[in-house]
Amino acid sequence: MTARAILPIADPATTTRRAWRLLRRHRRPLVGSVLLFALVGLSGVVPPYVLGTIVDLVQDGTGSRGQVLALAAVIVVSALVGGAATAASAALLARAANPALAELREDVLDRALHQDAERLEQAGTGDVMSRVGDDVRAISESLDNAVPEFVRAVVAIVFTMFGLLVLDWRLALAGLAAGPFYLVALRWYLPRSAPYYRRERIAQGERAEALMAGIHGAPTLRALGRHHLALQRIDHHSRAALVQAVDVYALLTRLFGRINLAEWVGLTAVLVTGFLLVRDDAVTVGAATAAALYFHRLFNPIGAVLLIFDQIQAAGASLARLVGVLELPEPRPSSEVVLRQPVLRLTGVAHRYGDGPDVVRDVDLTIAPGEHVAVVGSTGAGKTTLASIVAGQVIPSHGEVTVAGRPYGAIPSVDLRRALALVSQEVHVFATTVRENVAMSRPELSDDDVWAALRVARCAGWVAALPDGLQTRVGHLGHPLSAAQGQQLALARVAAHDPSIVVLDEATAEAGSSGARDLDLAARAVLEGRSALIVAHRLSQARYADRILVMEHGRIVEDGTHDALVARAGRYAQLWSAWSAR
Amino acid sequence: MLRRTIWRQRRRLLLGFPLLIAWQLGEAMTPVVIGMVVDHGVATGDTRAFLLWLLVLAALMAGFSLSYRFGGRLGLRSIQEESHALRSEIAGHVLDPRGADTDELPGEVLSLATADADMTGMVVRQLGFALGSIVAVLAIGGYLLVTDWVVGVLVLVGTPLVVAVTQLLAPMVARRTEAQQETVARASGVASDLMAGLRPLKGIGAEDAATQRYRVASRAAQRASITMAGAWGVLAGVSSGLSVLFLGVVAAVAGVRALDDAITLGQFIAIVGVAQYLAEPILALGELSAQAAASLASGRRISRFLQTPALVEGGALTPAAPPRTLRFDKVTAGPLKDLDLEVRQGELVALVADTPLADDAVIRLLHGTLRPDRGRVLLGPHPLDDLTLASRRDALLVNDHHADLFEGSIHDAIDPRRDLSEEQLSALLAASAGTDVIAAHPEGLDHRIRASGGTLSGGQRQRLTLARALAENRPVLVLHEPTSAVDAVTEQRIAAGLREARRPHATLVLTASPALLDVADVVVVVRNGTVVGRARHRELLRRDPEYAGRVAR
Repeated sequence: MTARAILPIADPATTTRRAWRLLRRHRRPLVGSVLLFALVGLSGVVPPYVLGTIVDLVQDGTGSRGQVLALAAVIVVSALVGGAATAASAALLARAANPALAELREDVLDRALHQDAERLEQAGTGDVMSRVGDDVRAISESLDNAVPEFVRAVVAIVFTMFGLLVLDWRLALAGLAAGPFYLVALRWYLPRSAPYYRRERIAQGERAEALMAGIHGAPTLRALGRHHLALQRIDHHSRAALVQAVDVYALLTRLFGRINLAEWVGLTAVLVTGFLLVRDDAVTVGAATAAALYFHRLFNPIGAVLLIFDQIQAAGASLARLVGVLELPEPRPSSEVVLRQPVLRLTGVAHRYGDGPDVVRDVDLTIAPGEHVAVVGSTGAGKTTLASIVAGQVIPSHGEVTVAGRPYGAIPSVDLRRALALVSQEVHVFATTVRENVAMSRPELSDDDVWAALRVARCAGWVAALPDGLQTRVGHLGHPLSAAQGQQLALARVAAHDPSIVVLDEATAEAGSSGARDLDLAARAVLEGRSALIVAHRLSQARYADRILVMEHGRIVEDGTHDALVARAGRYAQLWSAWSAR
Repeated sequence: MLRRTIWRQRRRLLLGFPLLIAWQLGEAMTPVVIGMVVDHGVATGDTRAFLLWLLVLAALMAGFSLSYRFGGRLGLRSIQEESHALRSEIAGHVLDPRGADTDELPGEVLSLATADADMTGMVVRQLGFALGSIVAVLAIGGYLLVTDWVVGVLVLVGTPLVVAVTQLLAPMVARRTEAQQETVARASGVASDLMAGLRPLKGIGAEDAATQRYRVASRAAQRASITMAGAWGVLAGVSSGLSVLFLGVVAAVAGVRALDDAITLGQFIAIVGVAQYLAEPILALGELSAQAAASLASGRRISRFLQTPALVEGGALTPAAPPRTLRFDKVTAGPLKDLDLEVRQGELVALVADTPLADDAVIRLLHGTLRPDRGRVLLGPHPLDDLTLASRRDALLVNDHHADLFEGSIHDAIDPRRDLSEEQLSALLAASAGTDVIAAHPEGLDHRIRASGGTLSGGQRQRLTLARALAENRPVLVLHEPTSAVDAVTEQRIAAGLREARRPHATLVLTASPALLDVADVVVVVRNGTVVGRARHRELLRRDPEYAGRVAR
C-alpha cells in the first residue's frame, strides 16, 4: 500500500548499541531505581516468611500474644519499607527514562530537520510525527512496565528457588522440568511476533500521515466534497494498525497458553516427585506441600520475566525507528569560515531528478558581490531547480558550484546558510510570537534588531499595531495574518538573518496581485547591499535586476539587462509584452 | 464518555468480562487444588486419588488458560476497537462538511487521535480488572467469613476502607496525568508546526533554532512526565504498603485468635494462605481508579474537542435543480459595505478590490464562515444560508488561493472517480495549462504527487488545482488569484482557456491580473468595501486612472 519512501529503520545491532549508550548516560538514576525495586522485591519476600513463623508458633502452642504481635509488626515494617521503596523507585525510574526519551525524540526531530527537504517530503510529515509521538510513547510504556516487573520478578525467583532448594534438592530438580517448555514457548513466540510489531509501527506511521493530510487539507477536501475519501483513508490505516495489534495479541495469548503448559508440567513434576518421595518416606508431607506451593509462587515472576522479551521486542520495534533517523548523516559542524562579499560561480551545471530527463543543463553563471540576477521563463523551465542548486539545497548531478572560490561540498551547511539564504514559495507563519518568527535563525538578536529587520521589510507599521507588538502570537491560532503579511515576515526573517547572498524563489507570488506591489518594494529593500538570484514570473520584480536570465527547457537562452533584452525582441520581449499587456 | 464506550463494546464485554473473571478465579483456585492433591493423594499415598486430583488440576489450569486466551482477546479487541472508533470520530469531526472551529494545532489533534484515543480505550481494561478484583475480594471475604466470622468481617470491611484511602490520591494522580498529556500534545503541536514550515526553515538554516523550540516543549513534557510518574509512584507505594499492612493486621488478629483457641490451627493456616492473595486485588483497585481517572481525563479532552462548534451551519433547503447564478445583494460584512454583485449563467465576472481584506471577506461569505451583517448572498433565488451544505456544494465551488493537493496520482487529483472522458480531461488540462505539467513528468497523468504537493513547483500546483476545480464542473465557480504563480505567457493561455471552459456556467474571479481581467465579461471594482465601477477591463483602464494604477505592473 505504501509507495512512500519512509525514513530508515535501524537494524537490531545498531539499535542495541544506541540503547546501551542511552542507558549508560542515565545509569545513575537507573541503577538507583533498580536497587530500590530489588528492595521492593525483598520486602515482598518478608510477609510469607513471617507468616510461616507465626504458623510454627501457633502449632507449637508455645507462642505468646506478644510474640505474634511482634511478628505481625515485622510485616507492618516490611509494608512501610516496601511502600516507600516503591514510590522512590518509580520516581527514580522516571528520572532516568524521561530525560533519555526526551533527548531521543529531540535528537530525532533535530536530525530529521537537518535532512534534505526533498527526502523528508518523500517520507511524509506523518512518518516523523509518529516516530517522535507514537514510538516514544510505546517505549515509555514498555519501560514503565518492564523495569519494575522484571527486577521484582528476578528477586522473587531467586528467593523462591533458594527456598525450594533448601526444602529438598530432588523436588527443586523436578521443578526444572518446566524449563525446556518455557524456552520452547519463547522461541516459538519471538520470531513470530517481531514482524507484527514492525508492521504495526509502520501502519501507525501511515495512520499519522493520513490524519495529518486530512487535518491540514480539511478546507480543500470539504470544498471539493472529498472529505469522505480522506476519512476512508484514515479509517483504512487506523484499521490496519488495529489488525496488527489484535493479531500480535492473539499470538501473545497463545504464548500465555504455552507458558501455562510449562507451569503445569513443572507443577505436576513437583507433585509426582513429592508423591513418590513421601511414599518412600524420603520427605515429609509438609515439605512436599511447601515445594508445590513455592513452585506455584514462581508462576507470576517467571511469566513476568518471559514477557520482558515481548516488551523488549515491542519497544525495540519503536526504538529501531528512532535510531534509524539518528543514523542519518549528521550535519557537519561549523568550520567558522566567514564568507564575506563572496563571488558565486556555477560551472557546467546540469541536473536531473532520479533517472528523469535533465531539468537544468549547461549552466555557467557568475554572480558578483552585490549583483542582482533575475531568472524568468515559463513554469517548468528549470528555474526552481536552478534556484535550489544556487541555494545549496540540491546538489547538481554535473558541474560545480563555488562561493568565494570554495566548492559547496567543502563548506559545512551551517556556514553556507549563514552567508546564503533561500526564500521559497512556501509561506509559513510559525505558531509563535512575531519576534520568534523574525529572529528564527538568530534568537540572540535584540528587540531593536528585530524592529530594524521589520522596518526593512516594510512591516514595522502593522506589527506595531498588533495587540502585543513583537510578542503577539501569530500563525495557527494566533493573530490572523494575510498571505502578504506572512510573506513580509519571511522577508523580515531574511533581513534579520543578514546573509550576503539571497535566493528568492517566487517569494512574492503567493500574495496574489493585489498585495504584490508592497511586497516587491519590501523585497527590493531586503536585497539592498546583498547579492541576489531572483526567480520571478512577476516581471516588475525582474526588470529592476542588474541582469536577467531567461530559461527554457533547462537552458539559459537569454542573458542581459531589461532594456537590452526587450530591444532584442526574443523570448523575454515576448514575456514582457504579455506581462505589460493591459 | 465511559458509558458510551461500554455501550459500544457491550457485546464483546458481555462475553469477555465473565471469561476474564473466570480466569482470575481459576488462578486463585490453583493453590486450593494443590492442597487437594496433597491432602487426598500425597498424604494418603492413594495413587488413584492422586491421579484424579492431578487431572482436576490440569483441567483447572487448561480452563483458566483458555478463559484468558479468549477473554483477553475480546478485551484487547474492544480496547482497540474503541480507540479506533474515537479516532474515526475525531477525524470525522475535523472533516465534517460543516467544518470544525477548533483551536488545536494539527499535531495536537494528532495527539488526541492517537495518545488520548488509546488512553480512553483503556477504560475497558480498567473496568474488566476492577470487576475481577471485586469478585476476588468478595470470594476471599466469603471464604473467610465461613472459616471465621471475625476475620471475614475484618476483611470485608477493611478492604474497602484501604481502597478508599488510596482513592484520596486518585484526583492528584489524574490531575498530573492530564497535565502530562497536555504538554505532550503541545510538543507534538510544535513538531507539526516546524514540519509544516520545513522549507522556510531550511532556507535560512534555522534548523538548530527550530529544534531549540521543540526542545523547550519536549522538556516541559519531560518535567510533567516526571511529576506524573512521581504521583503514580506514591499511589503505588501507598496502595502496596497499605495492602501488606492490612495483611499484618489480619495476621495479628487471626494469630491471637488461634492462640486463644477461637480458631483451629487448620483454620489459621487457611486464613493466612488466602489473605496473602488479598494484596493483589487491593493493589489493583488502588491503581485502577487512578488509571480510570487518567482515561476519563483523556476522554474529556476528546469530548471537548468533539463539541467544538461547526464553522458553518447548513440550512434545510434542497432546491430541485442546482442554482446557476450568484448574487451579492447589498451585503455589509467585515470591510464590505452594501456590496452588490451579480454573476449570471454564462458570465465570467472579475472583482478587483483595493485591499486583500475585501477579497478574503468575499471568500469567507461564500464559505459561510462570515455572515452578512446586512443584505444577502444568493445562490440562484435562494439565500445561501437557507441551503443545505450538500446543495451548496452541488452548485458552488470556491477554489481557495491556498487549495491543497493530496497524495496520489495527478489523475486522482483531477478526477478521482474517473468520470471524465479522455476528451473532457484533455480539454480542461489545456484550459488550465495543466498539459505542460503533465508533459514535464515522464509518467504523465500517473505521476504521483507527494503529500502537500511537494514534488511540484508553485506554478504547477496552481495549475493542477485549477484543473481540478474545472473538472468539478459546478454551475458556479469562484477563483481567488488563480494565476499568481505562473508566468505571463502561461497566464494568457489560462485566461483564454478558462473563459472557454466556463462558457456554459457562472464564474467569479478575484484578481488584479490584467490577462484575466481582459477576458472577463464585466469587471467589478470595489473600493472601500463598495462597488465603484462596473465595466469591461479596457473601458475601466481608459476612464478610471486609479484602476489603471491598481492593475498596472
